[in-house]
Amino acid sequence: MNFIKRFFSGMKQDVETESTVTEVEESPAPEVPQPDPESGDTSNFPPIRRVLQIAVISEGIFPKNSDEVLIKAQPSPTGDQCLFTVNRALMKGHSWYFSDFESAAESPLAEALFCLDDVETILVCESTVTVTRKDKTLVDWVPLAKEIGGAIREALVAANGLIAEKIISGLPSEEEIREGIQTVIDTEVNPGVAGHGGNISLLAVKGNSVTIQMGGGCQGCSAADLTLKQGIHTSFRKAVPKVGAIFDETDHTAGLNPYFS
Amino acid sequence: MPRVNTFKVKVQTGQQGTSEPVHFNFNNHKLPFENVTGSAESGKEFEGSFDVNSFAHSLTLVGPESGKWEIEKVSIEYDCENEKPYTVHFGRVTLDETTEMNIWQDPPVLAFDV
Repeated sequence: MNFIKRFFSGMKQDVETESTVTEVEESPAPEVPQPDPESGDTSNFPPIRRVLQIAVISEGIFPKNSDEVLIKAQPSPTGDQCLFTVNRALMKGHSWYFSDFESAAESPLAEALFCLDDVETILVCESTVTVTRKDKTLVDWVPLAKEIGGAIREALVAANGLIAEKIISGLPSEEEIREGIQTVIDTEVNPGVAGHGGNISLLAVKGNSVTIQMGGGCQGCSAADLTLKQGIHTSFRKAVPKVGAIFDETDHTAGLNPYFS
Repeated sequence: MPRVNTFKVKVQTGQQGTSEPVHFNFNNHKLPFENVTGSAESGKEFEGSFDVNSFAHSLTLVGPESGKWEIEKVSIEYDCENEKPYTVHFGRVTLDETTEMNIWQDPPVLAFDV
């Protein structure tokens, strides 16, 4: 309730404060309609509206038709990873996760990036590369990001193929990915988060990339990012090694979530 | 989540509009816009703003209590504490008495060329 008080007091700063010393005759509180527990009748209550998530119109981050290789680096708010967006395709329609140097064999782009000191893991997806770093105490990405940008540019200019042929030829079908991920969710992930009143659902599969949504107690939970990265990602990649990008489309601020309960 | 000083909404209505007052929902508090110009009727442009001065957990544009509201485009200018003002654009959507649309977007994360 403190929050609500702060919210309203913050909004109405220009309201006269003299009235605080005036005695106000208290009127009885209006009768609040209560649902009938037996019939479950909630007709007296306003309906809970569905929140529509409409995609933001992007105005594009690169000038169109540029021959030059352009790369933008965008560190995550938590600073543990950095997204590099390139103005050309790196892996059309699919994505691939390189967990270590050995997994990068015959993939020139990933090999070049793992040669940099602080690179821990690499995710290549469409025209983006997401890199996590070994040293989690460093938050300034600029020096490493410049090295990574240089390595991506060199790999693109060399044009020897960016991803190993054995990876491209062995990419699974969407159905294989869907079945595998759904099985992990049903048998491992959901039983695990159910103890906290949470649940995970598979929203979409595109190529070998998956989109999930967190619900119940997971939605809005302050530990959701930890659950996602250390729990769900690990389980998915262990059970379905060929899964690529894992997107989370949970709106942690919408609905009846734990922030407000 | 930043502290929102003010936000200003511009809504371009499509073929089907509404004559009802336009409301938004800030952290589950339904409120009308201030400084309103224009309207949400068919083909018209609605503008409204609000001095919030509070932290944004959720912010939605609420559909009309009756009928449908066809929206062509929504633009929101945010002025948040310790952030540069930024604008977010959303595309076509239809709202009614059962729906509201999320219009909150965190300030853009700093990106740089490498």
